[in-house]
Amino acid sequence: MKSLSFYIHNLYQNQQWLDFILYLGLGLILTLSLMSVVALVLVYAERKIAAHFQCRLGPMRVGWHGTLQTVADALKLLLKEDLIPKAADRFLFALAPFLTVMAALLSLSVLPFSLSATLSNMNIGLLFLSAISGYGVLGILIGGWASNNKWSLLGAMRAGAQLISYELSMTLSLLSIVVLSGSLNLNEIIASQAQGWWIWRAHLVGFISFVIYIISSTAETNRTPFDMAEGESELTAGFHTEYSGMRFAFFFLSEYVNLFIVSAIGSILFLGGWMPLHIGEWESFNALMDFVPGPIWFLLKTGALIFLSMWFRWTFPRLRVDQLMRFEWKFLLPLGLINLFLSSIIALGGFYFFP
Amino acid sequence: MIIYLLFFLVAFFSLLAVSSKSLYHSAIYLMGSLSVTAGLYLILEAEFLAGIQVLVYVGGILVLLVFALMLTQSDILVNDQPTFTKKIMAFGVSTSVFALGVWLLSSLHLHSIILPTASSPAPSIKQLGHAFLSVQKNGYILAFEIISVLLLTVLISAIVIAKKEKA
Repeated sequence: MKSLSFYIHNLYQNQQWLDFILYLGLGLILTLSLMSVVALVLVYAERKIAAHFQCRLGPMRVGWHGTLQTVADALKLLLKEDLIPKAADRFLFALAPFLTVMAALLSLSVLPFSLSATLSNMNIGLLFLSAISGYGVLGILIGGWASNNKWSLLGAMRAGAQLISYELSMTLSLLSIVVLSGSLNLNEIIASQAQGWWIWRAHLVGFISFVIYIISSTAETNRTPFDMAEGESELTAGFHTEYSGMRFAFFFLSEYVNLFIVSAIGSILFLGGWMPLHIGEWESFNALMDFVPGPIWFLLKTGALIFLSMWFRWTFPRLRVDQLMRFEWKFLLPLGLINLFLSSIIALGGFYFFP
Repeated sequence: MIIYLLFFLVAFFSLLAVSSKSLYHSAIYLMGSLSVTAGLYLILEAEFLAGIQVLVYVGGILVLLVFALMLTQSDILVNDQPTFTKKIMAFGVSTSVFALGVWLLSSLHLHSIILPTASSPAPSIKQLGHAFLSVQKNGYILAFEIISVLLLTVLISAIVIAKKEKA
């Protein structure tokens, strides 16, 4: 259980500079490679899943069943010319994609893939995750403003308004699980689910906060039915209209990495993270499930939530801006508050199953 | 070592924030200053405070600030030259606040930076929660309640201002 401050301590007391720098460098390389792999796989999955929902085949030409298509697309994006509009604010225009990528990178670095495969096991893991997402919001707002383009500005304003509104109910649903598990450390939250996952263990409260989380995380990642921020028919492409080449790739990358991150948080809080699936007294079944390593469980659960999000995209029609806001402020937020209250009662009385 | 670098960065970003020509740039430099302050809290082993600092200041206040700047016309803000009396008044206020801060800090007799040791682990979220609502000697119930009432007042007044008159 080594946290960031532990390493800073070592730095002061034992002067282990080499250890610290090696750890930092290795972590950075691992997280960066994980980020690009996640984005490539998710873009491919999105295209394939969307295609099969519409009875098409999707990408088929490059590689076996089009598996190399996204690699080719990424290469093309990196080689494209990088345009900066004449009237744009050059400094902020360059800073915006960097901020969003930084937020995604930092969030990935605290996700626990298993008890040992955690890059930074922070005591404030969940708080860190929700705090860091603020940089992503700032990146979108700055990018839209710095482009000096009406569409970008409107897209960024819509995105900003939506992100700050839905962040509230997202945090409330996360809080009810924090109340139940009594910790902000992601590994401890997972460990508190050894007897059963929070989605069903806390009577209805866990399930309701799971539903709130799924809805608000879909809004947080700007995905349909909440993709007002880049509604193609109204705003061409929203806040990243003026971006091209590498900088656009950064926005695109962080969008898919964010999808992975919110699904991972969902699987950690509600579905037990790297904890294997156990069913009551079925000894042999449980033993069989224990054979599957933690990271596989984690990725399976995260993948299931990502698939759910992609399924939403082809199921629900896009909302109007006023409907979006009314839904959040008049329905989701009060529901979240009531749910938090109920979860405190359940946590105080120990009313959940298998206390 | 690192702590002096962070001190320098806080001062650097704060200076940029108040001297930058464009208001939007100022907001971004303010983000730098506030984030580095969170780094200072991390070194002082106040992990929770660092997280809250980023959550409230970057994720909340700064986003709101940037949002408000987007709603205003930027050229009006840039070309707005304050009058001489306004400048004098601003100078007076900032100098007196600075003097007050120096006086308060010097009365604390801080001679050296004492970094926390590994033997004193950071308090758990449970201890923090109890401390917030405790009425004992080291409890923060009064501050907690005053801030809650203040926030509630602000929220209600915002709704009252934003509410449309019924025709």
